[in-house]
Amino acid sequence: MPRIACLLVPDLPVAAACRADPDLAARPLALSEGGGPHAPIVAAAAAARARGVRAGHTVAQARAIAADLVVRPRDEAAERSAVRALVDVAASLASRIEAAADGAVFLDAAGAAHLVPSEAGLATALVARAARVGLAARAAVGGSMTVARLAALHGGEVVPAGTELGFLAPLPLARLAPPSEIAATLERWGIRRLGDLARLPVAEVATRLGPAGAALVRAARGEDERPLAPEALGGPLEEAIGLEHALDALEPLLFVLRGLVERAVARIGLEGIGVARLGLALGLDDRSRDERTVPLAAPTRDVKTLLTCLRVALEARPPRAAVERVALAAVPERVRAAQLGLFSPAGPSPERLATTLARLAALCGPERVGAPAVLDSHRPGAAAVAPFTLGAAPEPPPLTGCRLVVRALRPPRPVEVFADRGRPDFVRGEGLGGRVVGAAGPWRVVGEWWSDGAFARDYYDLELSDGGIYRCYRDDGRWFVDGVYD
Amino acid sequence: MPTAAALLDRIGRPGDLSLGTARPEPLGRLPTGLAVLDEALGGGLPRGRIAELAGAPSTGRTGLACAIAAAATRAGETIAWVDPQDALEPEAAAAAGIALARLLWVRPRSVSDAFRAAEILLGAGGFGLVVLDVDAPRAGAGGWPRLARAAERTRSTLLVVALRREAGTFAALGLELGARRVRWSGGPGRLVLLEGIDARVTVARSRIGRPGQALVVRQACA
Repeated sequence: MPRIACLLVPDLPVAAACRADPDLAARPLALSEGGGPHAPIVAAAAAARARGVRAGHTVAQARAIAADLVVRPRDEAAERSAVRALVDVAASLASRIEAAADGAVFLDAAGAAHLVPSEAGLATALVARAARVGLAARAAVGGSMTVARLAALHGGEVVPAGTELGFLAPLPLARLAPPSEIAATLERWGIRRLGDLARLPVAEVATRLGPAGAALVRAARGEDERPLAPEALGGPLEEAIGLEHALDALEPLLFVLRGLVERAVARIGLEGIGVARLGLALGLDDRSRDERTVPLAAPTRDVKTLLTCLRVALEARPPRAAVERVALAAVPERVRAAQLGLFSPAGPSPERLATTLARLAALCGPERVGAPAVLDSHRPGAAAVAPFTLGAAPEPPPLTGCRLVVRALRPPRPVEVFADRGRPDFVRGEGLGGRVVGAAGPWRVVGEWWSDGAFARDYYDLELSDGGIYRCYRDDGRWFVDGVYD
Repeated sequence: MPTAAALLDRIGRPGDLSLGTARPEPLGRLPTGLAVLDEALGGGLPRGRIAELAGAPSTGRTGLACAIAAAATRAGETIAWVDPQDALEPEAAAAAGIALARLLWVRPRSVSDAFRAAEILLGAGGFGLVVLDVDAPRAGAGGWPRLARAAERTRSTLLVVALRREAGTFAALGLELGARRVRWSGGPGRLVLLEGIDARVTVARSRIGRPGQALVVRQACA
């Protein structure tokens, strides 16, 4: 028999809004669909309901009922973030998880047996971890998703196997939220409790009330329409928020980002992993989007480091318009514990390195900061840049003594070469020139013939009377200097 | 066996009161990997200080800087190379012995940005060696003192590779590369190749060591 746990947040839209803006928690809050005095109220906090505000009222009606009412537009981005946070909480204790459309999260309780000693412990752990990510949730365990959900709505408890019918029987019909026509019909039949509904024959109910009625009977018996369908886990964690007023200054935007980063770090911390990369998507008031990626040198959960990297990225390239929506995606990666040697240098700390790389990228450009990489190419001077990360120390290359290396000239510098009996005799170009006093070459270098970058060059090493030693080549009759030996 | 009086003179007699007795920490050294140069410099480049490596083009200053960087990465140091001229060739650096995974390559677009980048790297700490590869190191007002302070605070060595020495008294070490001999292999009727150079290195400035000492460093082509 399966054992399913349900984790849900009552009044999810209100809870999500309070999670995004904790100042709203103690206030009589109502959420509207859209703006203006005629917009309908879709959800109200307990304090607002106590004053008589209900879903379905218009904003004007609600304000007439409660003068101190705080009305905010419903923020679906914040609700999605809250649901994903619940999924992360469930994922920290189980591997088979399904998120329902209304925000409830179901998990296979059998998968958590090695982490928590009992089902009551599982429910308690789920509620505690949900609190860490800023959500006041309820959790319950039962023999099906239907039973677990109803138990969670009831206040949260463990329904032992074999007692589902006894638990469900006294619950009112409204707990199943039947369609209004079916509810009216069942009311006429005198069906008011789930126990009464469960005793009805399914086939007879289906004949009179259709498939919806049959589904209600099965639900009253605690049966699911389908088994738990686990969803794929992993991927970036997203935290998003819609702003009440567009922001056109950096400091208020960073204040909003701080909240997003803290919530993302709290979710990531559930699994003991760090943030390897940040993705920032800003919805602007000119209907465009500003999307950028902030790489990090090493996975980290340090909020200050992450905020510094975001600040540097935004200062280097401010959004071109005021910001209306903010979505932060944190790509998770396991924090690597590096074993330091007793006699080897410690190197830069991951947090300091992350902020340093962010500052350098803002100063020079992200593509101009990294570790040099050797390209698999015959083209002299070919270079690439790889991300610079702290990792295991590579095997040191063998000692080579002191080498005469080439300083690249990028781009290659065109020069005039005067030849004597087919050999370069005099070279003249920008910043260099003189008689050839020593020469080696030519040797032909050909490469990338399969691509647009195909080249075929005759290379020379030339020592000139100006004291320089240059790497020159002739390409289709034209001469260039692409390196200086130094 | 020292006498009791000599020992007391060394450790201080009872009742001695000495103000300001904090002794400066001994200057650590960053070995260059070249025994003859390390001997001339008293063990290597001074840690937490500015060192200059100056010379005309093709006198071997970049090769020598690569050798120092290779020794640093071989010792496990994380290093940085500030390269506003985009002159570093990764293949040449790897052939010189530098562990590329330990090298942070920064390519600012101007000399002033290069100095700013060097200051950021020195301030971050953890980089045993920061190479600033500029032709004309114009630090601007207050640039050299800031770099010197940042290097000292984090015990990182700043190696300035340039055409001329510009840091003045802010550099603890100045090396100048001058006359050099170019070596070519082969001859008439044989394949001629550039073998390398014999670079003359002069210790032009050193707070510790022997200024004025000259030595020859052989640099070979890969």
